Amino acid sequence: MGAWGFVGLAYGIVWGIILLYLISLKRRYNSAQVELDALSSVEATDCDVKK
Amino acid sequence: MTEGGRPIKKRRGILGALALIAIAVGLYWGLVIAPPDAYQGQVQRIMYLHLPSILTAYLSYFLVFIGSGMYLWKREKRDDILAHSAAELGVLFTALTIIEGSIWGRPTWGVWWTWDARLTLTAILLLIYIGYLMLRSLIEDEDRAAAAAAVLGIIGFLDIPLIHMSVYWWRTLHQPPSILQPNKAPWENVHPSMLIALTINFVGFLLLYFYLLSLRYRFGEMRGEIKARRLARGG
Repeated sequence: MGAWGFVGLAYGIVWGIILLYLISLKRRYNSAQVELDALSSVEATDCDVKK
Repeated sequence: MTEGGRPIKKRRGILGALALIAIAVGLYWGLVIAPPDAYQGQVQRIMYLHLPSILTAYLSYFLVFIGSGMYLWKREKRDDILAHSAAELGVLFTALTIIEGSIWGRPTWGVWWTWDARLTLTAILLLIYIGYLMLRSLIEDEDRAAAAAAVLGIIGFLDIPLIHMSVYWWRTLHQPPSILQPNKAPWENVHPSMLIALTINFVGFLLLYFYLLSLRYRFGEMRGEIKARRLARGG
């Protein structure tokens, strides 16, 4: 492999891993947000029932 | 201010956009504008990734150190969330540093890996913080897990001065710092264009880091909120 091959390999792997981490973090974040919204709506319904 | 308040989301969006711009400029400067190294040639361009990623990892572990210390002192959940988030990102950036170093090492030293003092201590640093993350998932009681992890987070930070000093204390393949030398300005040792490439890439990594940290911190907060609300509902 030539010098540019090593450079390309390093840049490709690094930005690929960072992108994968970002996607996985966004997924975790979005699923927590959905769960939190669901809990909020259940709590609101409970509140209405009590009233 | 909570995430529900739009300003934080908006600020995070701006941070992400700035990171993207800095990274794009950094890539162009590092791969196109900066000249090749006089001795190593084109392969030296890996430095524009390698140095920013290890410095970002150090910053991350410093935040783990601060967050852990504050948690042990005040027992505030937010400090623990900060330490946990920073530890996860520290592991990411340390792993990237080792991968880049390995790819850089092959054409310059002739090996993918060697038990050089700095490499070994960096691998130990990675293992310590992987241990930190594992410890948190192994102990069921959250407060106990946070306290135990905080102790490890503080002890693990002591490895960083060792990594820094390893090039002076032991015979290693790594060269002593060529940019920050006593009695010499950085531009006396390094071509100004290389220095600019390094600075832009470092800024890009920092902006990206704070974007990821803000997202990971909010995720930690939300997880705690979900758990607390479920407990309150008796689930």
